Amino acid sequence: MRRDAIKSAILKIFAEKFEIEAPGVDDDLRDGYEFDSIDAIELLHEIEIMLDTQLTRAEKKNAMDIRTINQIVDYAVALAAARCQTDSAGPECLSTTGK
Amino acid sequence: MARRVVITACSAITPIGRTRAEIVRCLIEGISGVKPLRNDGLLTDHIHSGVYGTVDYPIDYDFKRSHSKTMGPVSFYACQVAKETLAASGLDPAFITSGRLGVAFGSTHGSPSVQRNIYKTFFSESQQQFASIGAVDYLKSMVHTTAVNITKMFGITGRVISSSTACTTSSQSIGFGYESVKYGLQDAMLCGGADEYDTTTVAVFDNLLACSSDFNATPHLTPRPFDVRRDGLVVGEGAGALLLEEYEHAKNRGAGILGEIIGFSCNNNGGDLILPNIRGITDTIALALKDADIGPEAVDFISAHATGTKMGDVIEAQATGSIYGQRPFVTGLKSYMGHTMGSCGAIEAIITLYMMAEGFVPPTLNLVEVDDRCTMIRHVQHLEKKKIRIGAVQNFAFGGVNTCFILKKIDT
Repeated sequence: MRRDAIKSAILKIFAEKFEIEAPGVDDDLRDGYEFDSIDAIELLHEIEIMLDTQLTRAEKKNAMDIRTINQIVDYAVALAAARCQTDSAGPECLSTTGK
Repeated sequence: MARRVVITACSAITPIGRTRAEIVRCLIEGISGVKPLRNDGLLTDHIHSGVYGTVDYPIDYDFKRSHSKTMGPVSFYACQVAKETLAASGLDPAFITSGRLGVAFGSTHGSPSVQRNIYKTFFSESQQQFASIGAVDYLKSMVHTTAVNITKMFGITGRVISSSTACTTSSQSIGFGYESVKYGLQDAMLCGGADEYDTTTVAVFDNLLACSSDFNATPHLTPRPFDVRRDGLVVGEGAGALLLEEYEHAKNRGAGILGEIIGFSCNNNGGDLILPNIRGITDTIALALKDADIGPEAVDFISAHATGTKMGDVIEAQATGSIYGQRPFVTGLKSYMGHTMGSCGAIEAIITLYMMAEGFVPPTLNLVEVDDRCTMIRHVQHLEKKKIRIGAVQNFAFGGVNTCFILKKIDT
């Protein structure tokens, strides 16, 4: 998935699952939107569905300090790229950092 | 130290309405809230009982997502009645978060609909390995979910009691809340219970041959407490909340006082977990009167547990009659809405307060011909325009748990 597609998907999840519409990409989600650790766990589950993959426990723990939409998108892009390196890389994998 | 405990606000969600006016109208006009059992696509095809005490009107919840995200349906009910009760109480927000207010609230088994979704995960044939239990599913479904969602919503920092004793759940909430205030452990307690629409509970009672099934085509004709044609209980849903407050605290802030709790008892049959026990019930009634320091002649009205089961009604009538004789009015309020399980004690307390305020006693609905074995008490078969000064609310649960609390109307 391209970065912009991942960003759109993340914002869609925030709107539909967390009722947070168009948050600023660098806003602190905890301070500004009461997005707490429980929400973070729910978001990781949504990212698993979005990327059609299962996150490792270490990958989930790495997400616990994330605070902004931009950081979430970076995190998801990195996950997608890591999957591309371990799976047979197709055209989609080559575009994960595309704007 | 023993302090007086008064009720200064209440709210209910019941199969016969939400507001005092709606509920009183149904009681006076004999309108039932029992409806056909909704198909859940799982158990209803296997259940013989086809009736349910149904909340079939919309409720306008206005909860922030940060609050609602940990709520299953049962906590939506609980938080709504808690919100309305606190709003009606006029309590200072600083008092609510001071630690002087506690919560006693429960349900039969948390949120069964959320639990059902959790179990679906285990039986899913999905190949998606990431399919898992939601992060908040436990918070939504745990036994004390109602109590702690209430504390979270209002920032309540006092003690938390979350009984889960089936049919005595909310009467224990009221009783233990009463004792918390009476003995100075808290200055106020927000008490009650809730239960959501759930066919599991129907299936359990149905399997024990305790559910009504003869009136599936005419739901409003069942349950029929004390009637010769009664054929079992009708499970229902609902919620009730009451604010219990120390008398001087309520008086000093100018709160309206709906009634006083003057006595409470709770005991166990000490044996069988299902069969009603005349000794246990009789003792409970006597203990409540003793706690209230009144004789049976002082009681004007009894809200009987009266589920409409074959033996439960007989045992309750005999126990009640042995203490009260035929003097106080006895009504089975479940005849109007079915057995709302964990919320029944709170709802029946609220209705008793409404009756005290408006000066009437409703009849037991569907009580046409009193069972010969239940004639030793003063059944109400027609609307009585009478003032009630003292009323007793009786509830008995699986597990052999019995409760009774006594309410008194006071002039302010």
